[in-house]
Amino acid sequence: MIGYILKRLFFMIPTLFVISILVFVIIQLPPGDYLETYIAELQSQGESVDPDRIRFLRAEYGLDKPIYEQYFVWASGMLVGDYGYSFEYGLPVNEVIGDRLFLTIIISVVTIIFTWAIAFPIGIYSATHQYSWGDYGLSFIGFIGLATPNFLLALVMLYLANVYFGTSIGGLMDPEYIDQPWGIDKLISVLEHLWIPVVVIGTSGTAGMIRRLRANLLDELQKQYVVTARAKGMQEKKLVRKYPLRIAMNFFIADIGSLLPSVISGAEITAIVLSLPTTGPMMLNALQSQDMYLAGSFLMFLAMLTVIGVMLSDILLAMLDPRIRLQGGATK
Amino acid sequence: MSVHPPLRFTILATAFLLIVQAALASPEHEPPLLVQAVQSGDIPPMSGRLPENPRIMQISKNGLTAGKYGGVMRMLMGKEKDIRRMVVFGYSRLVGFDLNLELTADILESYEVREGREFIFRLRKGHRWSDGQPFTSDDFRFYWEDVANNDDLFPFGPPKTFRVEGDLPIVEYPDEWTVVYRWNRPNPHFLIELASPRPLFIYMPRHYLESFHPRYADREALDEQAKSRGSRNWSGYFLKKARQYRLTNPELPSLQPWVNTISPPAERYVFKRNPYFHRVDENRLQLPYIDQVQVNIVSSSLIPAKTGAGESDLQGHYLRLDNFTFLKEGEQRNGYDVLLWKTLNGSHKALYPNLNSRDEEWRNLARDVRFRRALSLAVNRREVNQVIYYGLANESSNTVLPGSVFYEDEMQTWARYDLEEANALLDSLGLDERNKRGLRLMPDGRPLEVIIHTAGESTEETDILELIHDSLLKVGIKVYTKPSQREVFRDRIFSGDVMMSVWTGLENAMPTSGFSPGELAPTSQNQYQWSRWGQYHETNGKAGEKPDLPSVRRLYELYLKWSEITDVQQRQEIWREMLRIYTDEVFNIGIVNAVPQPIVVNGRLRNVPIEGLYAWFPTSYFGVYSPDTFWFDE
Repeated sequence: MIGYILKRLFFMIPTLFVISILVFVIIQLPPGDYLETYIAELQSQGESVDPDRIRFLRAEYGLDKPIYEQYFVWASGMLVGDYGYSFEYGLPVNEVIGDRLFLTIIISVVTIIFTWAIAFPIGIYSATHQYSWGDYGLSFIGFIGLATPNFLLALVMLYLANVYFGTSIGGLMDPEYIDQPWGIDKLISVLEHLWIPVVVIGTSGTAGMIRRLRANLLDELQKQYVVTARAKGMQEKKLVRKYPLRIAMNFFIADIGSLLPSVISGAEITAIVLSLPTTGPMMLNALQSQDMYLAGSFLMFLAMLTVIGVMLSDILLAMLDPRIRLQGGATK
Repeated sequence: MSVHPPLRFTILATAFLLIVQAALASPEHEPPLLVQAVQSGDIPPMSGRLPENPRIMQISKNGLTAGKYGGVMRMLMGKEKDIRRMVVFGYSRLVGFDLNLELTADILESYEVREGREFIFRLRKGHRWSDGQPFTSDDFRFYWEDVANNDDLFPFGPPKTFRVEGDLPIVEYPDEWTVVYRWNRPNPHFLIELASPRPLFIYMPRHYLESFHPRYADREALDEQAKSRGSRNWSGYFLKKARQYRLTNPELPSLQPWVNTISPPAERYVFKRNPYFHRVDENRLQLPYIDQVQVNIVSSSLIPAKTGAGESDLQGHYLRLDNFTFLKEGEQRNGYDVLLWKTLNGSHKALYPNLNSRDEEWRNLARDVRFRRALSLAVNRREVNQVIYYGLANESSNTVLPGSVFYEDEMQTWARYDLEEANALLDSLGLDERNKRGLRLMPDGRPLEVIIHTAGESTEETDILELIHDSLLKVGIKVYTKPSQREVFRDRIFSGDVMMSVWTGLENAMPTSGFSPGELAPTSQNQYQWSRWGQYHETNGKAGEKPDLPSVRRLYELYLKWSEITDVQQRQEIWREMLRIYTDEVFNIGIVNAVPQPIVVNGRLRNVPIEGLYAWFPTSYFGVYSPDTFWFDE
């Protein structure tokens, strides 16, 4: 097992190296660079730019260097924890991301808990009561949640919350609390706003999870050991909880790989519509304006979390599911 | 040390008297927000904060009312970078435009221009930066000698405006309150640049910035410090500290009415009143009236919704005409008023046939005035106006607004809707053969299909093109719309790959003779009908092409002539002639102008004009309407 973990850790290095090259190249693919985006933006608002100043800035930002050199500076910096410099904000990338990370994690964690809290009971109910009215009804609602575009749901809920509860539109708290220290009032204001993104992001995730749990559980419930247990007079509730449910949870552990990065990235589209102070909108802006170090470092960060997450879920699966064993090798 | 009782009494009495005096003086004039700081001695009382001769704003003369102190004004902006708008709105300039768009001294007490080439600026004695340090000619010297002429900070020399045919001015500082700029030839752009929404800052707070400048501090230590803060060397660090327009450094002293107090990144920026601001109202109340401006950064797509929920006290940006009905609906519920100001573009959106296209056949067509006129005649402006702008806009070619002194009815000759004449013109070009679909054939046999590029930012452009498509088809021209990203859009135009593009029309459609007519002549790469000719001027002939159309050359000559003369009458003549050529030659095809811009104003906010011009230049959006004189009623 330890050898396996070490091997996995070792293979993360070339993986991340290749990802870093891909990320950098893809960000550079659109024509132009940050400064051209900057000029275009200024011009679209009527401002003019002195070409000499742009030449100066290009040298100042190191954008006049060949692309491999820019990559090298960025990649070597990352090894020592220097994620580069955001042109857009005029700050080191760490400082730009730092503030937003905390709120992003809050939203994501609450959303995940919300998703689980709803999806699990419903999934189990639908599987154990297959083709009942309850199953159909809940599946129907779940599909609506899956099919409604998040941004639309977000806008509708924003409007209703504003008109009926007087909640300020968008954001994660009323504007007057933004730069205040944390206190009860601020917390209440955050809670007032938090439920909208949580419900919006949560609904689609919930529906997916219900379906998967139901399908997995149904597979298990058909199996003979369940019939045997029932024949021996085991209590139905205990039976489901103790055997099929645990096996049906594999998908859930496998999900951790994608869960980790999503905790950090937040749901981009919803976050933009709701104007949440999370990392999603920042990331999109950085990509649009070719603020390459900010975008690149953030993508790298996500890639790293994905790689770690996948490894974690593999190891967990091996530990939790007795059917998955490493000793057998590839002979089977 | 013991104090003799009578003496102690005297001290107490004097102290008491002083306090009473201060208290008597303050309630009338001192802004309540500052009373405490004044009493504790942190800042001097108002008389010590104002220049000896402050600028007095005659508010009631303009039909507005003098107000009172206090309040917080909330605004919404879509990006953190947008906080630079506060310099535009604050509009504290050495010289600035007044409500009649004429230049007046603002930060300067007075100025004098001799022969258009010598500028004598007199500062207000006792004027102070927002941190209380004096603002003197030394701040101009610092900028000129240590910044603009520093090889590390400006490796290509001082900004363009300072060059008149390559020559830099001689700058003199006769005394603490006087600065003189002298060129050999007239510099007509200088004052305009100073009054611009993004002004040329020819002064910098020396007392603050010199600690970041190697002439006054140790260079190696500075480089070290710069590196630890993520800059490459001292110059990058200095420029970051010295941004007077982008406002990212809350420590930087300012002369604007409100001063940023938050360093980025943040979701909300708080601008506090500048206690040393140099303007007072007619009752000698120090401006601005409003204590604080709060700028909340939210997704730009949410701004109309948030404004409609009453979360902004003064909003124009990111609101569009199609939000009007929605905003109007919330007026009662959320206690605001929706005003309709006018935009100031020569055309809200205009078509730019590319005269520098690489496609030779197309280029020849686009350079033929008959073709451009035919295109213009085949655009149904009335339909566009009714369908997209509720009929509220003004159907026009890309030219000055009807209220302008330069306006002539002839300018609209080619802005009629006349398919017959358009067809006749196209026939006369030898485009009389058509294919099975009814499209005209170009001389090389290709059907006349025009791809119009848009910057793809709003559906407005594609909607307009959809309407134009139908009427152009009637004269045998098929148009396709191709949206692309803004930078790609520009690059393709610059390289000549674009046949025609859509962009906003002339920037300022209410010019006076003092404004540069540069927009009407090939002077910039960003003129999308002749970007290569413009580039030729911009780079002094190093890149681009020399204009070879006689009419364009004439425009360019006129522009040069305008720069050399100072006589108002002659300049007006030049403006008129240039406008005539520009509209008669139809270098771009205007559609509608004077499109209304919704402005949402809190119902308690006073002095915001009911009608105004909402434009970048020359009005600086709210700038010339002096937001420092806006105030909150009960």
